[in-house]
Amino acid sequence: MESLKFHFTPVDAARPNAVNPHAQPTTDRPEAVAMLRDAFGDGVTGDETYAGETTVFVAKGRIAEALQRLHADGYSYLADLGGLDRFTEDDRYEVFYNVCDLHRGRRLRVKTRVDESDLHLPSATGVYRSANWFEREVFDMFGLVFDGHEDLRRMFMPEDFQYYPLRKEFPLLGIPGSLPLPGHLPGEDLSYDPFPAASSPTPKSFQEPEVSGE
Amino acid sequence: MSEPHTLAAPADDLFTFWPRHQEALYARLESKHAWLEERHGLGDGRVHDALEHEMTLNIGPQHPATHGVLRAVVKLDGETIERCVIDIGYLHRGTEKLAEHKTYQEFMPYTDRMDYIAPYAYNVGWCLAVEKLAAIEVPERAQWIRMIGSELARLSSHMLWMGVGLMDAGAVSVFLWAFQAREDIYKIMDEIAGARFTVSHSRIGGVANDLTPEALRLIRDFVDRYPDIINGWRKLLTRNRIWMDRNVGIGVLTADEAIALGMRGPNLRGSGIAHDIRLFEPYLKYADVDFTIPTRTEGDSYARYLCRMEEMLESIAIIRQCLERIKPGPIRNDDGRKAVVSKDQAYYSMEGMIQDFMYTSEGVCPPRGAHTYAAIEAPKGELGFYLTSDGTGQPFRARINTPSFANLQGLEHLMEGAQMGDMVVLIGTVDPVLGDSDK
Repeated sequence: MESLKFHFTPVDAARPNAVNPHAQPTTDRPEAVAMLRDAFGDGVTGDETYAGETTVFVAKGRIAEALQRLHADGYSYLADLGGLDRFTEDDRYEVFYNVCDLHRGRRLRVKTRVDESDLHLPSATGVYRSANWFEREVFDMFGLVFDGHEDLRRMFMPEDFQYYPLRKEFPLLGIPGSLPLPGHLPGEDLSYDPFPAASSPTPKSFQEPEVSGE
Repeated sequence: MSEPHTLAAPADDLFTFWPRHQEALYARLESKHAWLEERHGLGDGRVHDALEHEMTLNIGPQHPATHGVLRAVVKLDGETIERCVIDIGYLHRGTEKLAEHKTYQEFMPYTDRMDYIAPYAYNVGWCLAVEKLAAIEVPERAQWIRMIGSELARLSSHMLWMGVGLMDAGAVSVFLWAFQAREDIYKIMDEIAGARFTVSHSRIGGVANDLTPEALRLIRDFVDRYPDIINGWRKLLTRNRIWMDRNVGIGVLTADEAIALGMRGPNLRGSGIAHDIRLFEPYLKYADVDFTIPTRTEGDSYARYLCRMEEMLESIAIIRQCLERIKPGPIRNDDGRKAVVSKDQAYYSMEGMIQDFMYTSEGVCPPRGAHTYAAIEAPKGELGFYLTSDGTGQPFRARINTPSFANLQGLEHLMEGAQMGDMVVLIGTVDPVLGDSDK
């Protein structure tokens, strides 16, 4: 039976030219897109605008060069770098770079897409030193490998953890047995299950706990 | 993805948690390029003699001077920190993953738990990001209220920095004064939002409730009393010999280094870069009020101290202007599809109840494919939310760009070459909150 899908607000696609009351003049950067298109030709795979924010898509192999070019143009401050799992067949992962020009008040988002079959992409640490920890975070959360990064360890999770939590297929509750944790009582053995209550097949009791001392 | 490995049985005599993690951490410490060794090798008068002087020391994550669960593994050459590797993640709760499973409004209280020193600013940051994503307009009065709250959060955060920073340097009385002052801010927050610590006052499209006359009275009283009190603190500290000895020339960051390391907030402004999101991309009503961005060029720990102290006075000036300019009016967007309806409507009108029900279960649905980055100047620097929508009521991806994370990265650089005795001051001067950096 076809399930009825009801949306409170009709789902409409984002319109690039819609007026946004919160749009900032710093983020509308058509000239940066033109500059990158001139410099890289086919290396720039597209651009889009939503809420006055320009996003440039650059081919994976040329991302470090493109960032170098932007750095030379004044975008010398890396404000943000992160990953995104689009959960699509092709070009599944996306890495975004949010670069700022602090002196002229400009901000630009550069994106590159990474296919599941080859999780390697060039590191931006040669251009922006601060990309170091951000790339480690993306590696930790999505498993993307930044070639040329000198210290690609996990950022938040311990090295003993072998999954990539922000991938869409990773369950919200975690994977039982993925992290050893101390026992619940002193002297108890290591528990390999971080979520014993959530993943146990049967609860101990369906009754509410009895109130003691009455 | 590989199979989950089974851990080797720990040796009977020595048990290590997460052995691979420790191994990788110490291997990094050994392999790290140390610019200090290079400098010594170049023969600037000192001969580098590793014999008998080297020591590897593990500080944290439980050490009280690390302001939370920061762990630093340092390699010492005598008293000099030669290499430093910072290990964070001990407070990682997977906030970004949680956000993908909550409606936009449901996630807002989680932002309280990120920077728990200044929760109001984080609520506002999240709500502004969602409002930008879904193009929701906010009434003026709500914007003024949010500004007051954010500036109070900044004061609270800087006061905590000052208190614990001085306690680390040995002055316990300042810690007590700062907490007395923060108690006044907590009282105001209690009156504004009904909660002292995790306020959760901001709502998408406005704020939860209006300021009561008592709250306004408390804020006015605070604004009247505190410039003198803060100036008193400055009088004690700014020319204080011990405080200057501990801070002047310690942890120097040049402007270029600060930009390359991606430092934020007062850590950037202390190095002579007048970057503040309130000026760079004015949000709320910051374009309409008069304030300055305190900036110093020295780039040392003392310069960052001076910046933060001046910022506190600027915050009070901003709150004063907000109180002058705030006008009566609605405090939340009136559209039941964009903002949560008031309790009066939810309880006493049919439409209100339906809207409340729908807002709770489905909430705001930004257009499919929309993605925006909205940044605010949180007390510790630029806080950004990069949200991506797939047209449903839950974010497809919520990237949280936190200031403490970026600042801690710079701390690793600051520590190398510093004296061991300055380590505690350096952690204080960067002002990290681990709930913020670990997400």
